[in-house]
Amino acid sequence: MDPETFRRDLGAWLDANADELTPPYDGIASMNEQMAHYSLVKRALYDARFGRYGWPESVGGLGGSPLLRAIVGEEINFRGLADPNAWTMIEVLAPTVIELASPELSARLVPPFLRGDEMWCQGFSEPDAGSDLASLSCRAVKTDGGWVVSGQKVWTSFIQYSQRCVLLTRTGEPDSAHRGITALLVDVDSPGITYSPIETMHGRLDFAEVHYDEVFVPADRLIGEENGGWQVAMDILPYERSTTFWHRGALLHRRFSDLVAQLSDSGDLSELTAKTVGEVFLSLVAFRSRSRDTQYRLANGQQLGVETSIDKILITSAEQQLFEAVRDLLPGVVEFDEDPEATMWRTHYLYSKAASIYGGTAEIQRNIVARRLLDLGPES
Amino acid sequence: MSEFLDAEDAALLGASLAAAMLAAPGPDEADQALNDMGWPDLLAAAPDHGAAIAFTALGTTGSAATLLDDVVAHALGIPISPSVCVLFDASLHTNPAAPQPGDPRNLIEDNPYVLNGLVSSRIDRATTVLIAVDEFPGTEVAAVEAGLLREPGATGIDPDRAYRHLSAQVPADAVTPVEAEGSWEAAMTAARIALAYQLIGGARWMLAEARQHAMDRVQFGRPVASFQAIRHKLAESLVLIEAAESLAAECLRDPDPMKAALAKSLAGKAALTTATHAQQVLAGIGFTAEHRFHLWLKRMLVLDTLFGSARYLSTEIGRDLLIYGTVPRLIQL
Repeated sequence: MDPETFRRDLGAWLDANADELTPPYDGIASMNEQMAHYSLVKRALYDARFGRYGWPESVGGLGGSPLLRAIVGEEINFRGLADPNAWTMIEVLAPTVIELASPELSARLVPPFLRGDEMWCQGFSEPDAGSDLASLSCRAVKTDGGWVVSGQKVWTSFIQYSQRCVLLTRTGEPDSAHRGITALLVDVDSPGITYSPIETMHGRLDFAEVHYDEVFVPADRLIGEENGGWQVAMDILPYERSTTFWHRGALLHRRFSDLVAQLSDSGDLSELTAKTVGEVFLSLVAFRSRSRDTQYRLANGQQLGVETSIDKILITSAEQQLFEAVRDLLPGVVEFDEDPEATMWRTHYLYSKAASIYGGTAEIQRNIVARRLLDLGPES
Repeated sequence: MSEFLDAEDAALLGASLAAAMLAAPGPDEADQALNDMGWPDLLAAAPDHGAAIAFTALGTTGSAATLLDDVVAHALGIPISPSVCVLFDASLHTNPAAPQPGDPRNLIEDNPYVLNGLVSSRIDRATTVLIAVDEFPGTEVAAVEAGLLREPGATGIDPDRAYRHLSAQVPADAVTPVEAEGSWEAAMTAARIALAYQLIGGARWMLAEARQHAMDRVQFGRPVASFQAIRHKLAESLVLIEAAESLAAECLRDPDPMKAALAKSLAGKAALTTATHAQQVLAGIGFTAEHRFHLWLKRMLVLDTLFGSARYLSTEIGRDLLIYGTVPRLIQL
């Protein structure tokens, strides 16, 4: 199916079902409300078939280009129908699991994720392994019929809503770095898993600290090869930076449109306002153009890799520029106002501060560009 | 480039154009060499893609060949010729006698015509200068005899005097209307896309120079490329260059005036940012006349002003968005 026809059909269906799909809340809702609505939208898209395109038939999809998944998320975000962060998880985790886990495992576990009936989370970072992910120490020891996992993870988003977790564990020697890591697909309700939410500065329980205390994981939950977990992580990264970035870019575009509409109503055509608005737009378009290329490379079966750090740097600066512009051009709204719209701006403004930290900090991205794309040799 | 040449053929063509530019000592010789290589045919066969390849080569070689005159004339539907040059729009400061920045098109009541813009070095040998004239409604194209507008003394910052500021008044009877099939807006769009490629080519040259210097230059017992402060400057340059190249390529796929203006703005920003970072990485040697860096810095400053600077264009587009109150998606999958 060609992207344009798909977008048109999808748009018509979204418009026709706007009553059901529009969130029952104004501005920013609680996480419970957001997750409930995310599931509803995901399920409705699945039932209407739009949510199944771009996924292989083996997991309940209808096949077709991953571009179609990019378009679904774009239209959802342009219309503000569901939380983009929740949506991120399936786009980040499912493609790699489908590719690298056993076909039986993904055929069994991915479909409920695709339908919005289930949620997954990602157990990568640890208190002592953030930017330096390869130094992680959460241990998995081979036992009869599987592994026993013990250790600690941090920044695990959505675990309180999740049934499964893609977990990176240490299976080699403690100093085996990226060579001794194994990826496992773990049931969150397994005995021995406990978690405590971490409250963010924008007042949400987005993620948690998770303890694994002798958690048994069956052998068939292996993703990729034993000690091949680094490959799994590297495989996930480009997905994190292709489809989901396209979705997030659409959300930023929508919020920028909201800002422009509001400024336009106020009749402010001053040089300073025009300059700020123009610069934000330029950054959004720069990202969108780059990301479009990335979507096509993914759709054409090209291997995405370290060059997606460029996409990450572009979307991060666009996002932070946008919400700084909101603060500059709607003075006092972020700091003082209380209506739902102001809450929305405040939440976005504060959350945008995380953009240069999560998924590899801004500095790590520049290190990657310097080392891998500019071939500048080792750092001192 | 798929609709026109595959990537490999485009690269080969770009390399041979660049070789010809490097072998030519001045703009006249470069123009002659490019003509001999079939530049007019390339422009006729594939105006946007052909210009993209040629202007990238202009940027990487630093050549002062006057291809922009041809791009504008061709987009206007006027036969290209070494004797035809163009008064280009540019971001220029306002003086009481001149029209507003970025808009040299201005018809003063009665006589005379006030012209304010940039011309390429082609004016030294051209017979006709094409100008845009604001008429109601729209913009029309007119011609002025080049001899009236030559200012041999004009220098400016460009290393080859490739582009010069022209500010002149001519009597109304020296301005002849010209039948043009293409609109001035279409010509500006074509010029901005071409210039975006030249800026990107120039930025890539500056980045490559700075990168090589960082690898070779040893201080504190190691290459300065090993220091994170240096690495991040070069990385930021590459990010902007890649974004600019992506948006310029989008203009080739699906040209549109707003997109072309944004592409020119982004390419200007990439080139100016890269110039700043590259100069800092080159440090002392980059401030000398001996190193060729300054030639690119100066050319980039000039190219940025042509058909609207990075800052001017993004501000104007910001104003348009505020006027209309809506934001186009602009780029689709």
